[in-house]
Amino acid sequence: MRRETKDSLAAGLTAVAAVFCVVLAFGIAVALLAKSQPILATSSVGRLLLGSGWHPMRREFGLLPFIVGTLWVSGLSMAIGVPICLLTAIYISEYSHRRIRSLAKPLLDLLAGIPPVVFGLWGVLAVVPLVAKLAARAGAASTGYSILAGGIVLAIMIFPIIISVTEEVLRKVPIEARAASLALGATRWQTTKHVVLRAALPGVFAAIVLGFSRAFGETMAVLMVVGNVPILPRSLFDPAYPLPALIANNYGEMMSIPLYDSALMFAALVLLVVVLLFNVAATLVLRRLEKRIA
Amino acid sequence: MRPREAQVGVAFLAVAMTLVLLQSPGGAARRSAGSTKKGRIRVSGAWALYPMMVRWAEEYHKLNPGVRIDVSAGGAGKGATDALSGMVDIGMVSRDIHPEEVKRGGFWVPVVKDAVLPTANAGNPAAKELVKTGLKRDTFVALWIEGKSLTWAEAAGKPKSGDPIRVYTRSDACGAAETWAKYLGKNQEDLQGVAVYGDPGLAEAVQRDRLGVGFNNLNYAYDTTTNKPVPNLMVIPIDINGDGKLSRSESFYQNRQAVKKAIADLVYPSPPARDLNLLTKGKPKGLTRDFLLWILGDGQKYVDEAGYIELPKQKIAEAIKKLR
Repeated sequence: MRRETKDSLAAGLTAVAAVFCVVLAFGIAVALLAKSQPILATSSVGRLLLGSGWHPMRREFGLLPFIVGTLWVSGLSMAIGVPICLLTAIYISEYSHRRIRSLAKPLLDLLAGIPPVVFGLWGVLAVVPLVAKLAARAGAASTGYSILAGGIVLAIMIFPIIISVTEEVLRKVPIEARAASLALGATRWQTTKHVVLRAALPGVFAAIVLGFSRAFGETMAVLMVVGNVPILPRSLFDPAYPLPALIANNYGEMMSIPLYDSALMFAALVLLVVVLLFNVAATLVLRRLEKRIA
Repeated sequence: MRPREAQVGVAFLAVAMTLVLLQSPGGAARRSAGSTKKGRIRVSGAWALYPMMVRWAEEYHKLNPGVRIDVSAGGAGKGATDALSGMVDIGMVSRDIHPEEVKRGGFWVPVVKDAVLPTANAGNPAAKELVKTGLKRDTFVALWIEGKSLTWAEAAGKPKSGDPIRVYTRSDACGAAETWAKYLGKNQEDLQGVAVYGDPGLAEAVQRDRLGVGFNNLNYAYDTTTNKPVPNLMVIPIDINGDGKLSRSESFYQNRQAVKKAIADLVYPSPPARDLNLLTKGKPKGLTRDFLLWILGDGQKYVDEAGYIELPKQKIAEAIKKLR
């Protein structure tokens, strides 16, 4: 085969693959929207999104507790996870010996490879009792199945993503920049803070966004420790019921209660839209950050 | 981690992720009874039926080495949805079949019986009192439906225990919760309490929480080898006639055989006792039909061993007639 033919073949093939992936995302959104029509025909979007009663048998499908539950759990996991991840990534990239780095990286990759159900099980066995003890000490009545348990398990699940991406980004900062800073008499920490982190800021931000997206959609591990009670939670020791857990738990009743399948499809659509909005917002922020640095 | 917790944990993990693949070993040497049946049957659904189905699948596979049966558990609702959407051939449904499911072409036969039992942590503050008095249905209603926060003293008459009862339920759409709710006059969605995934998960939660109460299918509340309640779990006796004490006819919770007898003799109320069903989309044909007929025939001899209760002869006969 001539190399020009090969080239046009490759161009065609890559284009088809790219189009397929983009169309797929649209396809999912369209399918979910179509499937949500029956429920949208019976109640308004406002009532579905802001209603707080979930009683499918009585045809009440308020999604607010689930949306709030999702925000609580993923927000908490970020609050716990991000500082630890950043410090770890900085240590591995800026301070640690090469040997420690070559040891830590495979271990982090291993953490990334553990299936969610194992994290969930570990959460049930270790984190839930711990949270129950904490709650008892704090004087709150809690079974341990709570937002806090969900947040902790989720935080650990996003560690490998955020750490490895952040570390990668930090190491991309040219060594000359560090050398210049150190030559001026700055300490390592000053160099890290004012030179490395500053240059790597957009990348670090992207890593955090990646972690958040993962946290948002994670289902099984959270479902196993979060308590699954459709209420508006008032404290970290309260149980919550995130959207993905709603869909996974009740997938089974889809065929047995009228409108239920449509309500769940709508919940899936809400999840998709929220993730999409979040990604768009993140991209905008990222652009501004890049501009500011350049 | 204490050993029994590790055990439960491992069991939980195993079941949660299990897909029992009964591979056909191939080769004519192992082909018994000259069976030439070949194919694959996919089964999913109720945790309540899972151990039974695994046993049936093994035995059927021994007779028909050319048939592979995949069994997975995920709750009654998943079984119904999977079967009706064509993802599996047979759905295990441990509750009544909903009219909506019939409308979508659901065909079903009852195959065995078991029961949902209320459970509490064995170390609860009123354990001794509970064995003597049991709990009335009204108390269960107050806890699971009305969501009242009762103390152990208020519920079980133990003086001086200010500890609250902590109520657990199931998060997955399942027959056990639906049947328990039906006993209390409602549906699963009306059950209050912290919701945990899966039958083993709920047992685990109550085993770990000294103040916890929950409910489990017979075979998750009692250990299959010792026939005693699983470690750290006690079955709450039901004060059936509501007279505030347990008469001799109401106390049958010492071991699994005694409970099974009470369920078979209809002493234990129904619900929470119930038939376990197998659901197919439309009337089954071919291999699936053959497997179902075998379950209702020869398959019944494994029912008792596996810890379930046989259906009355007449019900079996009706089910066979329905299939033919």
